[in-house]
Amino acid sequence: MDFRFDIIAEYTPFLVKGTLLTIGLSIAGILIGTVLGLLIGLGKLVNNKLAAFPFNLYITFFRGTPLFVQILLVHFGVVPLFMGETNAIIAAIIALSLNAAAYIAEIFRAGIQSIDRGQMEAARSLGMNQRQAMRYVILPQAFKRMIPPLGNEFIVLIKESSLAAVITAPEIMYWGRAMAGQYYKVWEPYLTAALIYLILTISLSFLLNRLERRLNTG
Amino acid sequence: MKKKKWLPMLSLMFVFALFLTACGSSSSQESSGEAETEEKEEKKTLRVVTDAAYAPMEYQDKGEVVGFDIDFVKAVAKEAGYEVKVDHVGWDPIFVEIEGERADLAVSSITINDERKQSYDFSVPYFQSTNKILTPEGSDIKSAEDLKGKKVAVQNGTTGQAAMDALLGKNHKDIKKFEDNNLAIMEMESGGAAAVVADNVVVEEYAKNNPDKKLTVIEDADFDSEFYGLLFPKGSDLPEEFNKAINSILDDGTYTEIYKKWFGTEPNIDVLKEQQ
Repeated sequence: MDFRFDIIAEYTPFLVKGTLLTIGLSIAGILIGTVLGLLIGLGKLVNNKLAAFPFNLYITFFRGTPLFVQILLVHFGVVPLFMGETNAIIAAIIALSLNAAAYIAEIFRAGIQSIDRGQMEAARSLGMNQRQAMRYVILPQAFKRMIPPLGNEFIVLIKESSLAAVITAPEIMYWGRAMAGQYYKVWEPYLTAALIYLILTISLSFLLNRLERRLNTG
Repeated sequence: MKKKKWLPMLSLMFVFALFLTACGSSSSQESSGEAETEEKEEKKTLRVVTDAAYAPMEYQDKGEVVGFDIDFVKAVAKEAGYEVKVDHVGWDPIFVEIEGERADLAVSSITINDERKQSYDFSVPYFQSTNKILTPEGSDIKSAEDLKGKKVAVQNGTTGQAAMDALLGKNHKDIKKFEDNNLAIMEMESGGAAAVVADNVVVEEYAKNNPDKKLTVIEDADFDSEFYGLLFPKGSDLPEEFNKAINSILDDGTYTEIYKKWFGTEPNIDVLKEQQ
């Protein structure tokens, strides 16, 4: 098997552009997903079952269907409905954010519920109201516990953004597939893509480790 | 602390890469060995791989791979004295399977060209095809030239893509490359592309099956004719036997019968013969 570095060199400018788009898609997915996820997670915690129902439904749907299907549905169904035409990058951002939000909502809920009930009772008996107790006692502790699973979710998000290749968002895998399509070679594009994803995820876990350590000592 | 952590991680990556390459080569050797012994025992069943997402050439009907190509390859193999087992593996894997000699041949509307001939062996041409443009009715696209400046959806790795690469420039941002033609056509219907360029059979079949969508098929003389061939691993001794078999079914009317069954028209056998 001859490994052709020349075709990787030829596609380097495209792969660089693809990597930037992958990073962009992931950052957008993480930011929008986290904000949405926080809201949905809190919504699910509401005591009123009827009020919590739509949030439960949301999580059930987005956790219960494959991201691949969601991307196609958003691309061919949702985006054209609003814009009149398809837009792969917008569709990828929407699908990734909505999907991540469902998982992040569960992470927030689990984080908040993992704090011992006694903490809330203690805070309340000190004269804090429900909001103050949440804001100053529960959330700061819960946040620290949420970092590892959140980091996990962010790494998953980077990797799953590769599914956007199917709707022709020109990210890493799209160019990898274009390369494979042109030369009928599979090792060169896909091993290169694997290496780029590894570099991205390793960098992110490095950053997350640092953040975790800082919060532990601080 | 941090620095020490990087070293094992890096070495892990290398081991992983080595493992992958080792896996790739050793498994192909093993299975090609197996295939050889199998052949000796009973020279009967050949493994044929295809990408069954190209109606009516090859597609899946309730889980079964069917189509013109499938009927054709079965007829040729029968003529040559073989049985065939057709596996749907997808487009890219076809070339991996054939390169690794895990499959004996591939039939998947594969255009014969010089680039591919460097890595694989082909049979004589068995099918003539041209690229055509599919576009919504009333669109201002009348020829290939009109596609410039518009978004065009194609299937990745097909000659439709090659035709667009030639027209607009390689990897031009207006060329959207999809996994298969269905997605490309869907993109056009959703307004993301002005036209789809693909092989005539696919385009015509789609327009025929979806009369309510109001589509036009445009022919352009600038697109050259292409010829499909059966794909074999380099150095295989099957092509010789298959070429003979292809010629005899071209002559005895079996080919015409299959062609009529799928396309309802008479094939142009003389053009195919000229190409040999």
